[in-house]
Amino acid sequence: MNPSIKLLLLLVIALEISFTMIISLNVALVILAIIYLGLHGTKLKTLAWLLVVPLLPAIGLWSTQYINGSGDKTLMAWVLFTRIYAFVFTGATFTLTTNILQLADALEQNWHLPSKFAYGVLAAYNLVPKIQHEVKVIRAAGLMRGQQLSFWSPQLYFKAILVSINWSQNLAQAMASHGFVEDAPRTHYRHSALHARDWIILGLGIIGMQIGVFVIPWH
Amino acid sequence: MATITLHNLTFSYPEAVAPILDQVNLTFASGQFTLLTGPSGTGKSTLLKLMTGLLSLPANQGSISFNQTDLTAIVPTDRAAQVALMFQNPNQQFAMDTVENELIFALENRQLPPQQIPQRLTAALDFVGISHLRHRHLNHLSGGEKQKVALAVIVAMDSDVILLDEPFASVDPTARASLLRRLVRLRDEAGKTIILADHDLTDYEPLIDNVVRITAEHTLAIVPQVQQPALFQAFNQRVSTHTTWPTPTSGTPLFQLKQVTLQQAQHQLLEPTDLTIYQHQTTLITGPNGSGKSTLFEALVRLQTYSGQLTYLGKDIQKLKRKAYARQVALLFQDAETQFLNITVAEELAQCQKYAYGDYFTPAHIDAALQQLNLAGHQDQVIYTLSEGQKKKLQILLMLIMQSPVLLLDEPLKGLDLASINALVQLLKTTLAATQQTLIIISHQLTGLTPLIDCHLRFDQHQLQYQEAF
Repeated sequence: MNPSIKLLLLLVIALEISFTMIISLNVALVILAIIYLGLHGTKLKTLAWLLVVPLLPAIGLWSTQYINGSGDKTLMAWVLFTRIYAFVFTGATFTLTTNILQLADALEQNWHLPSKFAYGVLAAYNLVPKIQHEVKVIRAAGLMRGQQLSFWSPQLYFKAILVSINWSQNLAQAMASHGFVEDAPRTHYRHSALHARDWIILGLGIIGMQIGVFVIPWH
Repeated sequence: MATITLHNLTFSYPEAVAPILDQVNLTFASGQFTLLTGPSGTGKSTLLKLMTGLLSLPANQGSISFNQTDLTAIVPTDRAAQVALMFQNPNQQFAMDTVENELIFALENRQLPPQQIPQRLTAALDFVGISHLRHRHLNHLSGGEKQKVALAVIVAMDSDVILLDEPFASVDPTARASLLRRLVRLRDEAGKTIILADHDLTDYEPLIDNVVRITAEHTLAIVPQVQQPALFQAFNQRVSTHTTWPTPTSGTPLFQLKQVTLQQAQHQLLEPTDLTIYQHQTTLITGPNGSGKSTLFEALVRLQTYSGQLTYLGKDIQKLKRKAYARQVALLFQDAETQFLNITVAEELAQCQKYAYGDYFTPAHIDAALQQLNLAGHQDQVIYTLSEGQKKKLQILLMLIMQSPVLLLDEPLKGLDLASINALVQLLKTTLAATQQTLIIISHQLTGLTPLIDCHLRFDQHQLQYQEAF
């Protein structure tokens, strides 16, 4: 499925469940997401993690609502509890099955976003592991100079910002030296297709959501 | 084929007083291999960036033309076909995640029809001899491997002029020789014009057509054929093959490795190893690129995971407090900027004096060291505007001022010219004599360094062991 359409559908779903209080809909979404992930060969261990990790915030929200909430406390508590899981699982159908390169391709080729934007985001994404390591290194470098840089130390952020500015400049130069020119035409090796099928899935998905919200809200 | 003409080229950085390049006039003939040389900080990188168009030349400051066409008149999308630059820092020249994707990105930018991309990509990787790296993540490659990928991108883009900015600063001799062979083939078989900036002139003599030197007057001069042998001579006094270092057997063990293994991504770097490194000995570690030398240093300062046990003066380093341990064992990072915490040179020096563990470096001592390293007068400069060579020298000085009992130096001579190397080694010698620190040094470059060394560890084929002969 085209990643950009998938993302659009998921955004519509997320927006809609944020404003509805239908437990059955949240549960149905979680089940559908698990089926989708299963079909895409997601490991059981990963699914188990997805169930365990949100448990703490989910219980937190549930108990807050149950103890301090107003109106139908029990209903709201369970709505919030299931909503968290619905967010996590629908989100996972995107993050676990789509790579960022495909999304960038789709944004550039199907939606004609400036390639500068698509590749900028991509390059920044590729930098994430380096940034994590860099923060560790900055703190170690501080310690070796006798200075402890805690997480609220301005020097840590100053260094991190400097490093990022530097990286972004170098990245711009690297892209330019590999022939990248802003707004210039490029060819595309990986073809990102936008089929009628994608639009049909999007349409069916949105209609299905409305049915779940307005026609058969079992609660 | 392209001839490059520099006409009255003048360039100054906004923050600088004097122009770094002043009225430069020179023609680089097409199909020739030119070596561009000069001490660090004299404008080699600037010149190459100007020639690539990465730095733009202000109006009325002269011109750069390729085959009589002014660089500014070449459509930006055609520039890559004309000229490509290989950077000094191998870590900062890629935008994508894998080797293959980076090449595809470059070829798409060159607007190559998609059906031609696979063939061009395979041919470029084959030419450089790195087909096996095709699907690897760029983040997991060694410096030398990254430079090979950078060359493959240039080969794939098929640029007429290839500029290289100190491309071998973090590349081992084998990889360097292999890259140089490829460059010579690109000149001889494809008629490429090659301009390579380097201050280490080792091995270039039989390969190059011209030597161009940046002069003290900030201009360029062709070194006449007759003067070239003398220029190269200075670099050919390499380590004699008879130099031997004894395997240390007694002394206070500093680091002890017990069944230590190192890994990077899925690749094993070090097989289970038992080894002792001794206190008050200067240990040199050599080995090809990507063998795991830097990873070993990162493990020693707890920035890298390993299995087995690593002890410092008999104690497991994982059980020592991070802060206390960092005061004992400091690392001179390969990338100088990593070490800096402040903005100006003076602030950095003040910070080190404040937190130093010994009082060997008095203000007078520091001034003398700055003179010795040719850094005097830069105190108010923002460190990030120093040249790579100046950054390196400042970085080493800062870490010496700290006087941690153990200093691990990762490629301390990277990017330095011969005069700077000699000054540094001199400074290291006098400091060591006074402070009794223990140094462990990773270096590809041995010119000038050998008088410091007591023993030699070789890191190769997943093994780390003492080796007497080099």
